[in-house]
Amino acid sequence: MFHKILVANRGEIAVRIIRACRQMGIKTVAVYSEADREALHTLLADEAICIGPAPSLESYLNMERILSATVAMKADAIHPGFGFLSENAKFAEMCQKCHIAFIGPDAQVIHKMGNKSEARKTMMEAGVPVIPGGKEPVHTVEEAMAAAEAIGYPVMIKASSGGGGKGMRISRSAEDFQMNFQNAQMESVKGFSDDTMYIEKYMEHPRHIEFQILADKYGNVVHLGERDCSIQRHHQKVLEESPSAALSEELRRKMGETAVRAARAVGYENAGTVEFLLDKDKNFYFMEMNTRIQVEHPVTEMVTGMDLIKEQIRIAAGERLSVRQEDIHVSGWAIECRINAENPEKHFMPCPGTITNVLLPGGNGVRVDTAIYNQYKVPPNYDSMLLKLIVHDKDREAAVAKMRSALGELIIEGIDTNLDFVYEIIGNEAFQKGDVDTDFIGKYFPAY
Amino acid sequence: MILRGMFKKTYTKLDMKARNVELQDAGEPQEEPNVPEGLWRKCNKCGRPVYSEDVIQNFYICPKCKGYFRVHAYRRFEMIADEGSFEEWDAKMEFSNPLDFPGYEKKFRAVQEKTNLDEAVVTGKVTIEGHPAVMGVCDSRFFMSSMGYNVGEKITRAIERATKERLPLILYCCSGGARMQEGMVSLMQMAKTSAALKRHHEAGLLYITVLTDPTTGGVTASFAMLGDVILAEPGALIGFAGPRVIEQTIRQKLPEGFQRAEFLLEHGFVDRIVERQEQKKMLGKILEIHEKNRWAQIGLFVNEKQTERAMIENVTKNIVIENKTENAIESTIKNVAENRTQEQENPAVFSKTPWDTVLLSRKSDRPAASAYMKTLFTDFIEFHGDRYCRDDGAVIGGIALFHGCPVTVIGQEKGKNTKDNVKCNFGMPSPDGYRKALRLMKQAEKFGRPVICFVDTPGAFCGMEAEERGQGEAIARNLFFMSDLKVPILTIVIGEGGSGGALALAVADEVWMMENAIYSILSPEGFASILWKDSKKAPEAARVMKITAKDLLKMGMIEKVLPEKTPISLEHLSEMTEQMDKEILEFLRKYGPMNGEALASHRYSRFRNL
Repeated sequence: MFHKILVANRGEIAVRIIRACRQMGIKTVAVYSEADREALHTLLADEAICIGPAPSLESYLNMERILSATVAMKADAIHPGFGFLSENAKFAEMCQKCHIAFIGPDAQVIHKMGNKSEARKTMMEAGVPVIPGGKEPVHTVEEAMAAAEAIGYPVMIKASSGGGGKGMRISRSAEDFQMNFQNAQMESVKGFSDDTMYIEKYMEHPRHIEFQILADKYGNVVHLGERDCSIQRHHQKVLEESPSAALSEELRRKMGETAVRAARAVGYENAGTVEFLLDKDKNFYFMEMNTRIQVEHPVTEMVTGMDLIKEQIRIAAGERLSVRQEDIHVSGWAIECRINAENPEKHFMPCPGTITNVLLPGGNGVRVDTAIYNQYKVPPNYDSMLLKLIVHDKDREAAVAKMRSALGELIIEGIDTNLDFVYEIIGNEAFQKGDVDTDFIGKYFPAY
Repeated sequence: MILRGMFKKTYTKLDMKARNVELQDAGEPQEEPNVPEGLWRKCNKCGRPVYSEDVIQNFYICPKCKGYFRVHAYRRFEMIADEGSFEEWDAKMEFSNPLDFPGYEKKFRAVQEKTNLDEAVVTGKVTIEGHPAVMGVCDSRFFMSSMGYNVGEKITRAIERATKERLPLILYCCSGGARMQEGMVSLMQMAKTSAALKRHHEAGLLYITVLTDPTTGGVTASFAMLGDVILAEPGALIGFAGPRVIEQTIRQKLPEGFQRAEFLLEHGFVDRIVERQEQKKMLGKILEIHEKNRWAQIGLFVNEKQTERAMIENVTKNIVIENKTENAIESTIKNVAENRTQEQENPAVFSKTPWDTVLLSRKSDRPAASAYMKTLFTDFIEFHGDRYCRDDGAVIGGIALFHGCPVTVIGQEKGKNTKDNVKCNFGMPSPDGYRKALRLMKQAEKFGRPVICFVDTPGAFCGMEAEERGQGEAIARNLFFMSDLKVPILTIVIGEGGSGGALALAVADEVWMMENAIYSILSPEGFASILWKDSKKAPEAARVMKITAKDLLKMGMIEKVLPEKTPISLEHLSEMTEQMDKEILEFLRKYGPMNGEALASHRYSRFRNL
C-alpha cells in the first residue's frame, strides 16, 4: 500500500480523496494554488505544497510542478480526482516514468478512450453498440439517402461545418428526407461554403445512462450498476440518481454486461464509467468511456455500500478486487444534486465571493460532499461547483422526499447559488414520476 | 472561521496496519519516485521546463513559447528527407589542421566524440516528397558549425556532385562563421563554395538555402545568401557581424528583433519564413515546381528542334502578327460592342465616357492582383524581397502552377481594406518593388518559366525614400532587362496602368487590358493640371488622352481587350478568369515554342515600332 498520496486536485473531490486516505491510514499531500491557501483541502491534508499562481494552467494543470512536488514530498502515488489532469494521458505517462503510481488507468487506455473515433472503433470491434452513422461524409441526396436507409429513420442530417443548429435537420422517413437534406445542405453551403454532410441516427428523448466499472490489474472487472444522469443543462449534469427508473432488471443486466465487455475490450484498470444513450425504445448505444472517478460517484456508493475512492487506491496499489459481480447488490435509491455558485437568473453566470453563512442539512441517509465553510471565499478561477447533496432511502419516492426536505434545510449565504432551481426540479411532477430525458430542462424550464 | 491547524491527524495509529498490507503485496522492491534525467529540458527561449518527449514530437519547438530549439543534423534529415532516402556523402574526412594550431586536434576529437559527428556539416542525397535533391545540414554543436577546410570541402563536393548529376541543392545553414583555428584557409572556403555555386547556377539548377539560428559570419557572406530561394526559420539570428560585435563597435544597444529572420524578410533578404512543421511540404512543393519539362506535358517548349523551327518562322510571323493586328482590333471592338447590346438594360454602362472608365478602373471593389492570382493559378508560393533593401508590399510575386505548369507571376497590389492599403502603399511601388519584380523575372529566365504580370497602380510611389533609393533607376532597369528576357512575358492591365510605374511591368510580348482598365502617361487629374492648370478638368482630359482599352487597342499599344460584361467585381471574377484562362493558354501556345532569341527579337520589334 502507498505511504503517502499526493492529491492533484482541489475543492470537494480533493477533500473526498483526503478523507478516504485518512481512513486508510495513508498520509496525504495537498497541492494548492495561490488562490487556495485557505481552501479546505489545503488545510485538511497532512502536508500541503503551493504549486503556482491562481490560473489552472500554471497550477493544477502544471504537470512538471506537480511531479516535482510529488518527488519532493516523497509521495508514492498521485490521485488526480476529476477534471484537471485526470484524463491526461501524457501526465499518466510521465508519472510512470517518474516511478509514481497514477491512480487511474494506463496512459494508453486514457489516450485510446480520449480519442472519440478510436474509442468508437474499439467498441464496435468489441461488439458494443455505437450510435449508427456519422462516419462517412455524404454530398449527394442519393448517397445520403442510402446512408439513412442503412441507419434507419429517424436520422439526423448534420452539416460537417455546421453549428448553432444551422445545417441541421431531422428526417423521420424517406418521404421527407430529400427536402430536409437539401435544405440543410443549402444552409451549409450558404453559411459555411461547404456541402459536406453527415447522416446520423437521431435519438428521440434519450436518457443518459452510465455504468460504474471497477477493474483490477488481474483482469477482474465488475460493474456497480447504473446512474441516470438525464437531467442536464447544456450538457452539464445537474442531478443524478441510481438506479434508473427506466431500466428493467433484464435491461440492467444486459447493459451492465456490455459495459464490462467494453472495459475488457480496452484492458481497463481502476474505476471508470461507460456512458450510454438509451432511446425511448430501450435501445442503448455507447457514447464514451470516462477514465476517472466521476462527480456523481456518491450515488453509486450509497446504493452499493462501497467506497469507490478506497477501491481506486487499492487497485492502484496492486490489490485484487474484493468483490465479485454476484456480491454486488443495489439497495434502495440514491439521488445527488449539484449546488453551484451560479445565478440562474443571469444565464447561470458564475458568482464567486465570500460565503458569509452556511448551514448543512443532516440526518439519516443525507450526505454532503463539499469543501466550503463559513467565511470561505470562493475564488473565481475554477469550476463553480460548491457542494454535492446526496440522499439515500428505500425507494425513489422516499429519496425524492428526502432530497426535497434536505434542499429546504440547506442554507448558503453571501453568494448566489442554483439551489432554488434544483429545488424546483425536485418539485416537478414529471420528475417525481420519473419521466425524464435529456430534454427535461428544455421542456419544463424553457427559461433556463 | 479559522481552520488552520484544527484538524486531527489520523495516519499515525493506522500506519502500521497499512504497512503490513504493503509488505505482503510488494513482491519486488519499488523504485523510489524520482524525475529521471532528461525527462524535462529547459527551453532556452522561455526558460520554462518542457517535457522532452513533447519537444521531439513537435519538431523541436517549445510547446509553451513556440520557440525553436536547434536541431541536430541527422534529426534534420529525418524531419525533411523521405524515410530511408538519405544517402550520406563524404561521411569520413581526414582531420585538417593547416596552421598546426596547438590543442585543436584534441578539442576536435573531443567534440567528435561528444556529438557523434565527423564534422560540422552532413551532406548527402535525399528525396523530399519524392523529389530528388542534394542536401547539406550544418550542426551548431560542432564548433558552432564554423566553416573550416573540411566543411568548405564537403559543401563544395556536394555542390559539384549536384551540378554533375543535375540535381537541385538544399543547404540548411547555421554557423558562427569561419573556424578561427584554421585561419586563412577558413576564409578561402567562402570563395571556394561560392565559386562552386556559380557553376551550379550556370547549369540552370535550383539552389535553396534554409537559414536557421544562428547564421552569421563567413557563411552568411557566402553560400547562405546565394540561394535562388532563401527560406528562414522564424526568429533565427541572421547576419554578417554578430550583434555583440556591432554593439561594441558602435557603442549602441541594438533594437529588439534586429538581425532576426523577420527583420531580414522586411529588408528583402529572405524569400519566406517557414515554420518547421511546414518545411518539408514547402521544399517538396518548390522542388516540384522546378522539375524540368513540365511544360512538355501540355505540349509547350517541347524540344530544341521545334524551337529552332519556331525561330525561323518567327521572322515572317512578326509581320503576320502586325498584319493581323488590324483585324484583331476590329473583331475585339465588335465583341465589346456586342456585349454592350446585350447589356442595354444598363444604360450607365452603355453610355460610358472615358472618365467613367477612369472611375471604374479605380473602384475599390475591383478585384486586386492577388485575387486574379488566386483564381487563375494553383500552388502560388509568394517570394519576398529585392535582396537589396526592402520587401515592397505594393508588388507581390512568386511562382505558381498554371494547368500544372510552372509560371512566375507578379502583380501590383492595392489591397482590399485600409490595413492592406497601407501595407501595399495603395499599389504604388517603391524601387524595391521593381527590383523584386526584376529579380523574380531573372529567376524565371533561369528556369525557363513564362512570366505573367498584373498591372494595377496609380503610379510609382512619389516620396523621398523612393528617390533616395533610385526610383527612376529601378524602373529603367526593368525596361532594359525585360526587353530581352528569354522567356515569354504577358502583362494584363487589370485596373489603373499609371505611367512609368505600370510600364516597368509591361515590357511584354503582349499587353492586354481589361475593358474598364486604363493605361496612361499620367493621371487625368495630373494631365489637366499640367496642361490647363486645373485638375477639375480631369474628365475632359480623360477624353482627349486616349487611355481606355478600346483607344489603346486602336493605337496598337495593346494586343487585346478583355471584355467585362458588367464592371468586374469579386463576385464575377471566376466568370472573367475562365475566359482569361483560355486566352493565357493560347498566349503560351503561341509564344511558348519560341526560343529566347526569338522572343527577344519579337519584343524588340514590338516596341521598336511604337
